[in-house]
Amino acid sequence: MLLRNIIPLINSLRFMVERLTLQSSLGKRFLLDSTFMIDSKSINNELNLIDSVLDILNSNNKGLINKLQIKLMQIRDINGSVNRISRNMVMDDVELFEIKSFALISKEIYDLQKQSEIEIINIPDLSTIISILDPNKSNIPSFYIYDIYSADLAEVRNQIKIEKAKENADQHTLNNLHLKSEAIESSVREDLSKQIKEHITELLLAVNNIAHLDLIIAKAILAKEMSLTKPILSDNNWEYIEMFNPQIQDSLSKQKRQFQPVDITLDNSICFITGANMAGKTVILKTLALCQYLAQFGFFVPSQKAKIAIVNKIMISIGDEQSEEQGLSSFASEMLKINDMVAASQNKERVLILIDELARTTNPVEGRAIVNAVANIFLNNKTTSVITTHYSGLSKQCRKLRVKGLDKEIQPGVINKNNINDYIDYRLVEDEAGDVPHEALRIAQMLGINQNIIDGAKSELNK
Amino acid sequence: MPFVKDIENYKSLSIIGLEKNTGKTECLNYVLSRLSDSGKTIALTSIGIDGENKDQVKQTHKPEIDVYQGMIFVTSELHYKSRKLVSEILDVSKQSTSLGRLVTAKAITTDKVMISGPANNAGLIDIISNMSNFGVDITIVDGALSRKSLASPTVTEAMILATGAALSSNITQLVFKTKYVYDLIALSETENQTKEILFNIRDGIWAIDNNNNITDLNISSVMMIERVKDRLFEAGNRIYVSGAITDNFLNFLKNQKQIKETEIIVRDFTRIFAQPEVFYSYIKRGGKIKVLQKTKLVAITINPVSPDGYILNSEELKKALEEKLGLPVYDVKKITN
Repeated sequence: MLLRNIIPLINSLRFMVERLTLQSSLGKRFLLDSTFMIDSKSINNELNLIDSVLDILNSNNKGLINKLQIKLMQIRDINGSVNRISRNMVMDDVELFEIKSFALISKEIYDLQKQSEIEIINIPDLSTIISILDPNKSNIPSFYIYDIYSADLAEVRNQIKIEKAKENADQHTLNNLHLKSEAIESSVREDLSKQIKEHITELLLAVNNIAHLDLIIAKAILAKEMSLTKPILSDNNWEYIEMFNPQIQDSLSKQKRQFQPVDITLDNSICFITGANMAGKTVILKTLALCQYLAQFGFFVPSQKAKIAIVNKIMISIGDEQSEEQGLSSFASEMLKINDMVAASQNKERVLILIDELARTTNPVEGRAIVNAVANIFLNNKTTSVITTHYSGLSKQCRKLRVKGLDKEIQPGVINKNNINDYIDYRLVEDEAGDVPHEALRIAQMLGINQNIIDGAKSELNK
Repeated sequence: MPFVKDIENYKSLSIIGLEKNTGKTECLNYVLSRLSDSGKTIALTSIGIDGENKDQVKQTHKPEIDVYQGMIFVTSELHYKSRKLVSEILDVSKQSTSLGRLVTAKAITTDKVMISGPANNAGLIDIISNMSNFGVDITIVDGALSRKSLASPTVTEAMILATGAALSSNITQLVFKTKYVYDLIALSETENQTKEILFNIRDGIWAIDNNNNITDLNISSVMMIERVKDRLFEAGNRIYVSGAITDNFLNFLKNQKQIKETEIIVRDFTRIFAQPEVFYSYIKRGGKIKVLQKTKLVAITINPVSPDGYILNSEELKKALEEKLGLPVYDVKKITN
């Protein structure tokens, strides 16, 4: 599972990735090709690297990071050339120039780390490659097939010079000399390419590590800017204190409003989330998905504190799945998804399952039955899962969380459709009662919905 | 000989041929050889493709460009690979053109090379500003009006125009056509405020009122002008056209009642694709045209030999042009000998 394939699926993930300040295209490619990690060692390695950069950013040495980024900006993408060398192809002048430039900057990055006595990521020694492409030891990032590579070449070039200086330079002679010099240059290029190939391992490692360095620095800066936290990996349970969604927080702040962070714990079992409309249940699901992906792709997460268990897969059902092309209704598409989730549960796979408004697209009687049936399966198989729902009469054995919602004490007339979001308490509480809150009419009234509907519905309820 | 002293102080100079075979390459070669004698570090690039071995249409011998030892040049990867001279690569661009990325190199020997450069203004501006990193004193840009290019010579500080018998074998006609281009180049720039507002608008046709408020007229091109004539002056009498101006457009405008208050604004003179008669007719009726960016025309060179083999009287042509344009005129065939 590559990051590039997950980004289009999760908006808030794209939001964060777009804000990474990567300096090189090598770094960008490394980011998109990063894999979803399922072992704690790899994840912790990556998180520790980010930590080490954050330490530097918070210390007297923070200038080092800026200097590194400036070098990274100059790094050339030699991926294609390195591939070609490993396939025994001959480099042209432009490619040799780029490899030389890469090697020189790589050395500068190496030197920067050495001077500060800090090694974020090991940069291999490329001095042999540099000396192959810099026979005159000039240390300048320019390149051509120097005379020093071949005495014959120097001789032919000299002959060309002499011939051209003549009054009646012979075009025929010149053409022949040019052909000769091109032939020698070609064989020099072949030789240089072979020599570089002998050091291809160091080159590949350098390309990889420099790209990785670019990414780590970007992740650390992102963590600092967005106040992200290093997740602690656990075996079986999740605990978030003040979890927030950066994308939604960002759009709220543009309207001069704030995002209310939420605390939540999960374990190897089913958990319902109930609550009034507009109470942020879907946002909680989306943020749980975001944090899980971020952690397992080696990022810090948007939460004051976070303890996260590793899963092999995240399965999500949020939003209208209607697929007219396939002739499937919303209900059918959703059920097919649930089917996969239940199969994973029955296979005792290590998954995180997130379902929004399960079975909302069918009649409430059967809907509730389906919800309870699915929940019980997850309960019995100890599958970590979160289902949001409006249905009441939920299975009593299953854990229930409720979004606090609108304060009961608020007088009518205070709230309207423009300020209602400011009065909703988005925090979660454990809910022992079996019934879901009935606040739909109260909220509809505040939104200014036609009073006939409100009155009519109330009298229906009283029957 | 002349005018090289005048151009030494510019940071960038374009040499533009009015037509193929107007002696632009000879002019270019002359300028390059004189500048390199003066000890300046020169950079060379081109807008569009040049250095073709033979003019495809007329089969006349087209000289390639001489690049001198020590000169910096910018050309596409494709042409760099087929160079004869020995040169050292200093930089390779990140952006690509249709002929590959742009290679910046320093000539180690003196020889001929094909120069193909950036395909748009942004690329050209980048190259010129990059040249200071290599200690370049002046960047020469080679170009031609007949070539389709999104990169405009008005990006450079100064310009030399090459004209000649290839344009017309009749001196009066030649002078008339050259004067037309001269008049276009001389069009004045809009005020800074207006320039700032319009500079980054690259699509469509906009109206500007007296307070510099701009309105998108939602007309995609000047070809559509007939259909929208009612809306054209809705939001002001100054009209900015981000693309090209055609005969149609000018003729249409000159017949409107607001002609005396009408002002067209274009990016630069290369966006005006109108016949001289149509242009002058529009101006005569009271219409105005301004540009966002202009450059200084410093000299004119002439090639009295046409590709058909016709030879004009050089002195006569020189005098006629000097009278009409008030600029020094040089015969390339004479100065290069």
